[in-house]
Amino acid sequence: MKQSDYRSGPLAWCAILGGTCVLLFLFQKILWLVVPFVFGLLIYYPLFPLQQRLVLGGMTRDASAALVSSAAFLLAVLVALLTFPWIGSHLSSWQDSGTRYIEGGLRLVVETLVWLERNFALAAKARLSSQLTEQISTLGDTLASKYLADVAFAAATWLPSLLLAPFLAFFFLRDGWRFKKFLGRAVPNAFFERTLFLLDQLDHTARLYFQGLIKLTLLDTVCLAIGLWVIGVSAPLLLGLVTAVLAWVPYVGSILGCLLVVLVVATDYPGDASVAYSAIGLFLFVRLLDDFVFMPMTIGRSLRLHPLLTVLMIFVGGAVAGVAGLMLVLPLLGVVMVLGETVGEVVTDPRLRARHVYAKRLRRRLVTSDLRL
Amino acid sequence: MLKLFANRALPARSRDLKKMALFADLSGREIRVVDGFMHERRYLADEVVFDEGEQGEAFYIVLEGEVLILRQGQLDQPLAKLGSGSFFGELALLDDAPRSAQARAGSQCTLLVLFRGDFLGLMQSHGLIASKIAMQLARHLASRVRSMARGDSGPL
Repeated sequence: MKQSDYRSGPLAWCAILGGTCVLLFLFQKILWLVVPFVFGLLIYYPLFPLQQRLVLGGMTRDASAALVSSAAFLLAVLVALLTFPWIGSHLSSWQDSGTRYIEGGLRLVVETLVWLERNFALAAKARLSSQLTEQISTLGDTLASKYLADVAFAAATWLPSLLLAPFLAFFFLRDGWRFKKFLGRAVPNAFFERTLFLLDQLDHTARLYFQGLIKLTLLDTVCLAIGLWVIGVSAPLLLGLVTAVLAWVPYVGSILGCLLVVLVVATDYPGDASVAYSAIGLFLFVRLLDDFVFMPMTIGRSLRLHPLLTVLMIFVGGAVAGVAGLMLVLPLLGVVMVLGETVGEVVTDPRLRARHVYAKRLRRRLVTSDLRL
Repeated sequence: MLKLFANRALPARSRDLKKMALFADLSGREIRVVDGFMHERRYLADEVVFDEGEQGEAFYIVLEGEVLILRQGQLDQPLAKLGSGSFFGELALLDDAPRSAQARAGSQCTLLVLFRGDFLGLMQSHGLIASKIAMQLARHLASRVRSMARGDSGPL
């Protein structure tokens, strides 16, 4: 699709960046709605082509939306029914494993510090290993009581909100086209064609982003799982999936993912630091593959942003709205950018404005033709 | 089996579309799919639909009323007058070239608009429908070329 010749100027870009920051700030306040909305879109975009096939098969849009959503819901219920008993039976062992993995990871850090202190005089003077060992022993006693309840409470608070996501996805499927037409009706004739083009670009950008995100997650999961399986780490697929999902949060997510992998490896192979280093190497390799191959193939095509602006906005997103800001800033910037360009393009075209004024005068003349003062 | 869930009665607008030469090859359910992509717009007499030289992004069907095809600024010498059932701006579906003439409402009219992005989407998701429309468009353009070769005038 050909891009329009309009290019946003500095003023429009200031408005776009400012608008993104304001929206991020507001979204942070209604995160309970924004997060299910984003998850709803994540469900909607993969289901949309299926619904289109059913429409072609002769079904109405409403019936096809109901059928696709019900099928997806039943699939989710089936997966839950199959996995919940297994999760229940392994829960206690996972609880033990969690503590074991944290201890294993900390042990690796201590061992690395001890090695540094043995080999470098500067590190020896700092005596970091002994300080860390002391803090670990203090932390270990209070960790579960201090943080576990908070984490469980936060998860319980978020659960009802996340259950909104499938409902939202259903309504996107059923009424998305009506909403698009509703928006189109609000646009005056003079601006209609141009606005339609830019709304289409917006939808296209969002679709590519969310479909790209799912493809990227699958590619990351497969690569990490294969790598971890080769190294010999336990539960490579689960670990790969969790790490790939964590990578949705730029930078912070990747670091957390890497830490998780190292924790598991350090516990599975205590005393064998080389396996942990191979896991870190694998993780770095997959990240490079992600940044230079997978990302341009999937998400990179959707948001045509300058890399410097991307990095800066990620920092701004983090500063304005924390972890949620890190996750939301890029898709939000993509949306605000297209909207800003739409308004900029329409407002700065004198011919379109003149046509709109002319149409308004025609309408005024029509409705006042029989009125005489 | 899917047809069991299908609503067989065509809405009035879909029935109007089915009568048009462009959609003559489409079945009832295919017409309904195309109708789902159409935007209905109302124009006042003399209102500009699009300008000559403007980037074409949509294709128009006259549902009611009359549309004039003109050279920009030559209001007295319309190249063509299009009535109910006619269509114009079809080249926008095929290429990115600017509009070759201005379209203006000759009377109060109702137009159906098919956006090019939706048509391209139709080609990806419903290739059969898009190919039937594209074939009718090709026939229409071929007859236009023959008319021009004979020296007849017609809408661009």
